[in-house]
Amino acid sequence: MSAAPLLTMSDLRVSFNTQSGRVQAVDGVSLELMPGEVLAIVGESGSGKSVTAQTILGLTRSPNAEITGSAQLGGQELLSASERELQAVRGARIGMVFQDPMTSFNPVYKIGWQIAEAIRAHSGGTGKSEARERAVELLDSVGIPKAAQRVDDYPHQFSGGMRQRAMIAMALALKPEILIADEPTTALDVTVQAQILALLEQLNRERNLATILITHDLGVVAEIADRVLVMHNGVIVERGELDQIFYSPADPYTRKLLDAVVRIDSAPPLRTRRVSEPLLEVTDLVKHFPVKRGLLIDREVDRVRAVDGVSLSVRQGETLGLVGESGSGKSTLSRTILQLLSPSAGSVRFEGRELVGLSRRQMRPLRRQMQMVFQDPFASLNPRKRIGQIVGEPLRLQGEARGGELRREVQGLLERVGLSAEHYDRFPHEFSGGQRQRIGIARALALRPKLIIADEPVSALDVSIRAQILDLLSELQAEFGLTYLFVAHDIGVVRHVSDRIAVMHEGKIVEQGPADQVCERPQDAYTKTLLAAVPIPDPREARARQQALGTA
Amino acid sequence: MGRFVIRRLGGMVAVLFAVSVLTFLIFNVVPGSDPAQRMAGKNANPRLIASINEEWGFNDSLPQQYLTMMKKIFSGDVISYEGRENVDERIVEGIPATFSLCIGAAVIWMFFGILFGYLSAVRAGGLLDRVLTIVAVAGISMPIFLLGAIFLSYLTYKTEIFPSGGYVEFGESPLEWLEHLILPWTTLAILYIGFYSRVLRSSMLDVMNEDYVRTARAKGLGERRVMSRHVMRNSLIPIITLFGLDFGALIGGAILIEGIFSLNGIGQYAYESLKNFDLPPVMAIVMFGAFFVVLFNALVDIAYAWLDPRIRLGTEAR
Amino acid sequence: MAVASEPNVEEAAPAAAGGPWRLAWRRLRRNRVALAFLGLFFLIVAFSLAAPLWADNVAHTGPNDTHTLEKLEVNGEKREVVNPSGRPIGAQWFEADGKFFLGADGRLGRDEMVRLMYGGRTSLLIGFASALITTILGTLLALLSGYYRGWTDTVISRGLDVVWAFPVVLLGISLGLTLAVGGLDIGPLHLSGSSIWIPILIIGGVMVPYVARPLRGEVLSLREKEFVEAAEAQGAGAMRVMFGELLPNLASTIIIFFTLNIANNMLLESTLSFLGVGVQPPGTSWGTMVGSGFDLISTAPQLSLIPGTMILLTVLSVNVFGDGLRDALDPRSKLRLEAHAGIAEPEGTAV
Repeated sequence: MSAAPLLTMSDLRVSFNTQSGRVQAVDGVSLELMPGEVLAIVGESGSGKSVTAQTILGLTRSPNAEITGSAQLGGQELLSASERELQAVRGARIGMVFQDPMTSFNPVYKIGWQIAEAIRAHSGGTGKSEARERAVELLDSVGIPKAAQRVDDYPHQFSGGMRQRAMIAMALALKPEILIADEPTTALDVTVQAQILALLEQLNRERNLATILITHDLGVVAEIADRVLVMHNGVIVERGELDQIFYSPADPYTRKLLDAVVRIDSAPPLRTRRVSEPLLEVTDLVKHFPVKRGLLIDREVDRVRAVDGVSLSVRQGETLGLVGESGSGKSTLSRTILQLLSPSAGSVRFEGRELVGLSRRQMRPLRRQMQMVFQDPFASLNPRKRIGQIVGEPLRLQGEARGGELRREVQGLLERVGLSAEHYDRFPHEFSGGQRQRIGIARALALRPKLIIADEPVSALDVSIRAQILDLLSELQAEFGLTYLFVAHDIGVVRHVSDRIAVMHEGKIVEQGPADQVCERPQDAYTKTLLAAVPIPDPREARARQQALGTA
Repeated sequence: MGRFVIRRLGGMVAVLFAVSVLTFLIFNVVPGSDPAQRMAGKNANPRLIASINEEWGFNDSLPQQYLTMMKKIFSGDVISYEGRENVDERIVEGIPATFSLCIGAAVIWMFFGILFGYLSAVRAGGLLDRVLTIVAVAGISMPIFLLGAIFLSYLTYKTEIFPSGGYVEFGESPLEWLEHLILPWTTLAILYIGFYSRVLRSSMLDVMNEDYVRTARAKGLGERRVMSRHVMRNSLIPIITLFGLDFGALIGGAILIEGIFSLNGIGQYAYESLKNFDLPPVMAIVMFGAFFVVLFNALVDIAYAWLDPRIRLGTEAR
Repeated sequence: MAVASEPNVEEAAPAAAGGPWRLAWRRLRRNRVALAFLGLFFLIVAFSLAAPLWADNVAHTGPNDTHTLEKLEVNGEKREVVNPSGRPIGAQWFEADGKFFLGADGRLGRDEMVRLMYGGRTSLLIGFASALITTILGTLLALLSGYYRGWTDTVISRGLDVVWAFPVVLLGISLGLTLAVGGLDIGPLHLSGSSIWIPILIIGGVMVPYVARPLRGEVLSLREKEFVEAAEAQGAGAMRVMFGELLPNLASTIIIFFTLNIANNMLLESTLSFLGVGVQPPGTSWGTMVGSGFDLISTAPQLSLIPGTMILLTVLSVNVFGDGLRDALDPRSKLRLEAHAGIAEPEGTAV
């Protein structure tokens, strides 16, 4: 079937003048969007995929930007169109959905008002009440319950998933032919992500809505894309049909990307486990945060039950994976275990010794045995200190070493995590995200702890880097006999590294057991929902699953 | 929201109380000299000092002294020994001049401040922006009395374009009222215009980078609408809150301007009292000024909470 | 060693080499306008420091020496320093070998140039010293308040609120007035009413909330960062976290505050002195000079305009340099001249 493409882009080049010189974001991109198809543009951060999408609508125009090439929408040239002409296209012929629905809505106006605003901007004569009714219809059509009431709510009164639905409704208000979705599910929980993807797929099918989907997540691509473009460093390195890209990738970068994706059903590397007695035992741990309100004096009216009676144990030498979505309490749990937050109730025993209730002074020597690796490679290192200082700090604090001996020790650690000794005097901002995580790991390792709690250690990293860091953690575990509590929201990653898995939901552990068992034969309803929602980066499997669930 | 207002007003009362205690401590309790002597000022003689001691209760306990002082201020019973007049009455007389000065200047500085800030922001980095920035920095570096001195010497004494001072009631002669106020208004405005244009510029540049502005454009809204409905609405919030605070402070604090231009307002009264080291009026004016500051602080917080639906409606998501 | 986990060479390594301070210094060096105004500031400081030299060797008179009934010998002519109707002599420039270079200052017949230089010393000293007090005190309070939170925070914040509630000028005036009359007498501290420390302490103290409050905000947000948690996880105590982790990250903000504070404090001092409740005689500052010159505004405007202009130039150069400093230390705000609450004019500035 050879229909004419809706959108044709030829040799798009976009560069920006920044403080550190000229940055070429897009370096010669050509593509075609056919009617009714879902075209996915996949790439890691810095690949230029978002810039490409936003340039179509002229959103990257600025005095610092240089844009050349062509983007034709059914005969109309967009790149050189005037602002007026583009305004007629935006929303009416091409709708756009952005990544973060919280910041993409104006917080001071009602959602219904913002949708109505879009409508009235294009069909000049539409009255206020007419536009409002249309807004209600739109909210309803994307699956928002009680649309007639919710239309008068403000953005902060919606949950994340509902907000994104509203955003999609607004983008489609004027029935455009094309929808551009820029990382539409990245900021959402996995279960919500599945719903939004289903919605996008439904809209595409029912309305023959051509969709450009920008994402870094291959699982998302496998779920709903028809064709795929792989971008790297501003160029398209490979393009093709969905199955072709996944099963017979031609380009080495594509292959690397596919290899790096950690699949939930992939067998984890074999580990010889010298498992013995429990190193860490948590019993009925509770951490509540009081909610205070009052007329003149704050009084506690309610509690946020972040950790609501958690019991788990980690045996020496093993890796316990803790899975939970945002708001499940997993981060609070890890900090409470380490006594960075004081528990409201319950017990934490480390090597048989009770930690709850210890004073700061008593806790201090014990801290050598348990350390933490943090999530954010940018916020977890003090930007004003050299990394030699950062990694050496724990040794200095605990009085372990000084002067030249300290320096040698730190340099050894740096090399062990894959950096070089001469990095000792550099500052964090001189390193990439993955390298900074390595520094964080070196710091955690400095005191040769027995237990390391890793809180989302790879979530903020690019896909291709994740595997490297996970491998590093594995090696270190074998070499130093470490025990890990691995906390993450991505069950695929957790499965890959864990011996046993605990699933956390709303402050409680809903399921616990050996990794294979939890992932393949889940008992709890929530676990089942979680597993079902995880996008599988394998088109055939994805189709099979969709069929089984009746949503193909 | 109602709960918020009550809390804020309650807080206001608490702060006012603290402010009054602090004023009391400063004026009556500061160690180093005898309070009665300070109050008697230049006319101090033993009999006067004794009677002051009696009236103000300086021989009583501290809490008692505080109550006495509060009672005197609020019942309009404070007498200036220098000028032999009732302080509170004089303050009330000065209100029309002070308010004329403050409100007029406020209108001017807000208009130009917002205009310049807007122009700077939309043409950020360009020549106009740089020029306005220089003007702004010069404005906030300018000592008020220098500008006043320049205006007075070149526009009034040497060339007699404007009168050299004094205040004329609006009721008497609107034209002269205006004539007498133009220079003070301009002097005052120049300082604030510089400051406000910078604040607005900064605020607008922040807002223009926000995601929701990008969404507004992506919806196909015209640039004018994006600017007015989305950018300005959110950029003006800090300006409005800042204005409330500045205006509140100005009511009691326009001492230099009123003094330089001899506008018979509250500030002028303070200026004269200071020259004569006359304590009682200064004390009363300080309380008066602080009251307005605290009041406007509270109003500003309440306005801010009202403008932000997250605070107005509470933050529960449904 | 394991090869598989070696960092991928392709991964983009960002940013230039060198510490944050070195980078800031480089950015500052490129800002010629800021450096020019810094130069102007140094010139003014040098001018003021040269006061004793000028007074002893050129003008042969002190800042408070009156010459009301004297006559000047100029080119064989005799000129009265103060003519019978009270009009002071105008600027002589070098005609009288540098005496009365800028003329006399009114009925008292003092050398205006000498006073100007000595006045500069006082104004600059007060500006600098009080800024030091404000910054140090403000930083300490912000750290304690932001780190400990809870009751400590409540007490400190409420205290700052009360001080903040006073228009700066009114508070300065109140304190200036009461302390100028009688001096300060607390325990071992005895300051006379005319001590220069009184304005320094008053101004330094009054401006504390304008530094402490915004810094507290920064401390609160820094405190949540993971590197602070990491330090605590290693067993760092309160002191270590506050001074070892938080303070280095506040350093740029503190430096900027300090610089802009010098400007603000000098303006406040000049206002208070103009009103007569700042620097007390026999001390001289530019503010007092404008104040006393104001009476002669119609006949000898230069007596007010000259010291006033000196204040303007000094404050302007500090402000411009401060802006440049901010751009260098925090390049994200390069296009945004910030005036957010803390670095702005404190409300209640004398107007």
